[in-house]
Amino acid sequence: MTSIDVQELTKVYGPTRALDGLTVHVRPGRVTGFLGPNGAGKSTTMRVVLGLDRPTAGSATIAGRPYRDLDEPLRHVGALLDAGAAHPARTARAHLLTLALSNRVPAARADEVLEEAGLAKAAHRRVRTLSLGMRQRLGIAAALLGDPEVVMLDEPTNGLDPEGIVWIRRLTRRLADEGRTVLISSHLMSETALTADHLVVLGRGRLLADTPMDEFIAGHSDRRAYVRTTEPERLRELLDRTGLKGEGDGDGRWSVDATSAAHLGALAARDGVPLLELGDEQASLEEAYLRLTADAAEFAATASHAAKEH
Amino acid sequence: MSVTAVLHSEWVKIRSLRPVLGALLGVPLVTTGITLLVCANADGNPAGGVEFDPVFTSFLGVTFGQMAALCFGVLAVSAEFRGAALGSSLAAVPRRGLFYSCKLAVAAVLALAVGLVTALASFLGGQAALGDCGVGLGTPGALRAVLGCGAYLALLAVLAAGCAALLRGPVLSLGVLIPVVCLVSPVLGEMSGAVGRYLPDRAGQEALHTTASDGLGPWPGLAVLAGWAALAALAGWRALERRDA
Repeated sequence: MTSIDVQELTKVYGPTRALDGLTVHVRPGRVTGFLGPNGAGKSTTMRVVLGLDRPTAGSATIAGRPYRDLDEPLRHVGALLDAGAAHPARTARAHLLTLALSNRVPAARADEVLEEAGLAKAAHRRVRTLSLGMRQRLGIAAALLGDPEVVMLDEPTNGLDPEGIVWIRRLTRRLADEGRTVLISSHLMSETALTADHLVVLGRGRLLADTPMDEFIAGHSDRRAYVRTTEPERLRELLDRTGLKGEGDGDGRWSVDATSAAHLGALAARDGVPLLELGDEQASLEEAYLRLTADAAEFAATASHAAKEH
Repeated sequence: MSVTAVLHSEWVKIRSLRPVLGALLGVPLVTTGITLLVCANADGNPAGGVEFDPVFTSFLGVTFGQMAALCFGVLAVSAEFRGAALGSSLAAVPRRGLFYSCKLAVAAVLALAVGLVTALASFLGGQAALGDCGVGLGTPGALRAVLGCGAYLALLAVLAAGCAALLRGPVLSLGVLIPVVCLVSPVLGEMSGAVGRYLPDRAGQEALHTTASDGLGPWPGLAVLAGWAALAALAGWRALERRDA
């Protein structure tokens, strides 16, 4: 089992509490989306896991061992932090080569991952001459270098073209299907919705949610059904009688809160209201996420207010 | 982790950066170039009553070549602080002591090799340019001076590398090193006396002289410079070990 285990992690930078007792376990075989507003602690978590930043308290391990104790860590963990994170005057290939050599990864792997990242033609270009999207690809190439079981990508879609975004989506899916542990942070909700199976949401350095994607959406959004009818008056009457709240768009399509298509369909059938369309409205990840973070902000505000009153 | 693998990687890091190689190459070019200029113009007035040291005269270019050695040491390390390269490097080699010592070892060995070549070239070229006043490698103290010159340049590179790890940026590092190593002792001049003898350049350059001086002497002088270099290397290691990358 090569999971990433973060235990009671706290990281304080000067006056800022970037992580505040965070405990989370990232499991293999699925793509875990790492969400949270800017400054929530996503990057800090990854940096601490990699041993780049020292935790103020708590621990982070990979397969039960601190990163520092991994022998030739690139063979176990691949990470993308800042785009490229390479010396601007080095060529793309030389950058990968220096990393490969230190971990006794064959030099040929550098060419393989360049190819895989679509950078074969840019192999001998200096990093400073690469576009942000290409540096991002270089960083991902570096993450794949040692064929690791654990892959952590911080905002991999930053600066990528649509082709690149599709590539990341397929890549992360493939890695997860191969049984690897994949953690990918993003603030693009629609992208995360397409990529991730599981979500870890942070807010102010704390864990807000750690659930499967569908449960997350279901748990943080209202149930709603939509219906289209040729007889809106009778539908309104039905809704009023059953205490449901609905709203028509003036074109015969109604959105009905706090109910399911099954329930609404049964009611309509009993009353003989003719329906053209019926279905459950799928809440978006974005909606669910905003709801969760708004609740969390409110909770934080109330909590600090309460604390002041005491 | 394999030490050889990390050393190899550090060697490729230096090899793949032109400015770092340029600084290294600058050591022999500047040193022998200046030495040849000085020696070619010195053969008119060597005899004089003042003690003439033909061996030291052929190392006069070191005063300038040492700046290249400092640049090399600084750039070899400060390259890690550009473009967040350190993050990638430490993710690959998370044992910072191993990472740092391999980096310093590669820089030191390169600086020593280039320093020895520089010393030999500067000595032979300088002696040839001195013409009749020139001496051979067999002269007492000459071989020691050549070896000492190589060691001097290598130790300066290590001193610079340590400072760069402590201060991170190349501008700040050179801003501290160039004045301390290259300017303080000429400015203090002869009046610096007891304290001045322990300055890194003054102590280290003892090894380049064959005539008696009021300094520490060749080997103790190099030992004092080695002490400075070790101090800087240690300070750099502590900084790297403690700070977040």
